[in-house]
Amino acid sequence: MAKKAAPSKRQLAMVFDLNKCLGCQTCTLACKTAWTTRAGMEHQWWNIVNTFPGRGTPRDVFSHGGGYTKKGEPIPGDFPSKRLWGEAWDFDYEGVFGSNRDEPIPLHPREHDGAAPQWGPNWDEDMGGGEYPNSYFFYLQQICMNCSEPACVEACPRESVYKREEDGIVLIDEERCHGYRFCAEACPYKRIYFNEQRNIAQKCISCFPRLEAGVAPACIRQCPGRVRHIDYLDNADGHIYKLVKKWKVALPLRPDFGVEPNVYYIPPTSPLAFKENGEFDDTGSRIPMDYLKEMFGPGVEQALATLEAEREKAAAGKKSELMDILISRNWNDLLGPFTVDPAQLQRQPVR
Amino acid sequence: MTAVTASKTSGTVEDLLSPRAAAWKSVAETSLPLQPTPLDAQPSAYVQKAWANRDRGNVPSVKVKALAAGDQLVLRLEWAAPDPRRTISDNNVYADACAVLFPSNGKDAELATMGSADKPVTAWYWRAGAAGPFLATATGLGTVSREARHGIQATGEWQAGSWQVVLAGPAKSARIGVAVWSGIAGERAGLKSHTPAWHDLKVG
Repeated sequence: MAKKAAPSKRQLAMVFDLNKCLGCQTCTLACKTAWTTRAGMEHQWWNIVNTFPGRGTPRDVFSHGGGYTKKGEPIPGDFPSKRLWGEAWDFDYEGVFGSNRDEPIPLHPREHDGAAPQWGPNWDEDMGGGEYPNSYFFYLQQICMNCSEPACVEACPRESVYKREEDGIVLIDEERCHGYRFCAEACPYKRIYFNEQRNIAQKCISCFPRLEAGVAPACIRQCPGRVRHIDYLDNADGHIYKLVKKWKVALPLRPDFGVEPNVYYIPPTSPLAFKENGEFDDTGSRIPMDYLKEMFGPGVEQALATLEAEREKAAAGKKSELMDILISRNWNDLLGPFTVDPAQLQRQPVR
Repeated sequence: MTAVTASKTSGTVEDLLSPRAAAWKSVAETSLPLQPTPLDAQPSAYVQKAWANRDRGNVPSVKVKALAAGDQLVLRLEWAAPDPRRTISDNNVYADACAVLFPSNGKDAELATMGSADKPVTAWYWRAGAAGPFLATATGLGTVSREARHGIQATGEWQAGSWQVVLAGPAKSARIGVAVWSGIAGERAGLKSHTPAWHDLKVG
């Protein structure tokens, strides 16, 4: 076994409900404006939402290695080049809107070297899978998974990446980081970015300064769809415990990566498929079950059955704890112990 | 083990910082053989696994010239780099680099592992495209600590298929080692070529 991150005393975890996400990217912008506006971070999207089935960001996101084999051996990975993530492209606003320049003005953005972009965040939006009328897709939100077996922590020879004892958040110490980027290769979800200007790796920090003030992470608090829940995994009265442990409807993404992620997903339900004669095919999910199993593991079939049963129960006017949690009529219930309103906090000066 | 001799010069460090400075032409050159760092000593199972079947330590030797200018040791390193990496220009691009190593106590330390807890090594580190050289100390692989305030100067130039780097600083050590990182091979951190053992450093 190669794994070496010490277990944390408690583990903070999140559940994202894929059936409620409307793909509005408010989470993405909430994160962007909070954390990644400084030099060298222009291309970084610590929170990203892509359409799946799809190729993700970076392109073919789950095909770049990293994580562990079933025996716990590290799997070599790569760190895809900038073009496969998408740079912060250059937009010639002046040329397009205000110039009388006597030359062709490209309407499309450009990479910094002038080349046409080949890929970027959310590049294949809404393309999805299947053929009309049986097409399907869902939005997949990704941030750092704060894994219980974080491959990034093990990969760093300098111990610059660490897992916090008190809440299991995985962080990069920017003072220690020398920009070797083994962590980015080892992360199977490809959620680590490189800051070329500072020669350091950077990633989602779970908004830890907010958490420490009792405020939920920006992506969670600002989600207009009430998609995201946060709490300690061991709080038996909390949403996370109930969704993950009790109802078993919140599942890890790509559990085969072997890193035990702590962001869980309510798998996507889908409408019935049409048969060739136009009748409903009520034999199963429109999204192929094999694909869902690949994404969310073998528990997905039972999770979907539970969701459907509880949904029907609620539709029949009966009480369903599961549906009540997923609906979260009281918005603050999503936030676990992190219900402080940031507007009520005294703002600290920016360092 | 071949000794490196630093002849005393009346010139200043500034005169010598360019690898093409005339003063270097007459200085005797010593070729030091290099070897890859041991993979099983890398402090990360990931690195050991990922590099098990990858070429590393491909720079077979480094040519060294040395001069002593007052209390400053000035070293000129030259090594072949047919396809140089001059800057970190992408996620998966690594710049060529070199370092001169000294046992911090001036006498002895484990060179292949970058020192040990009781016997650290000191390094002058230069990387292509970086803002400046670093002074670093280490007590083993993965422990390198860079110091922001230091008296190290460096200039590097690539021409005709090789890097020529001049490093200058105060040195009290009687022994010296050299390490070279090949950017195109993806070398960084403990993945590098280095002198298998210390070479005596003679001044005068």
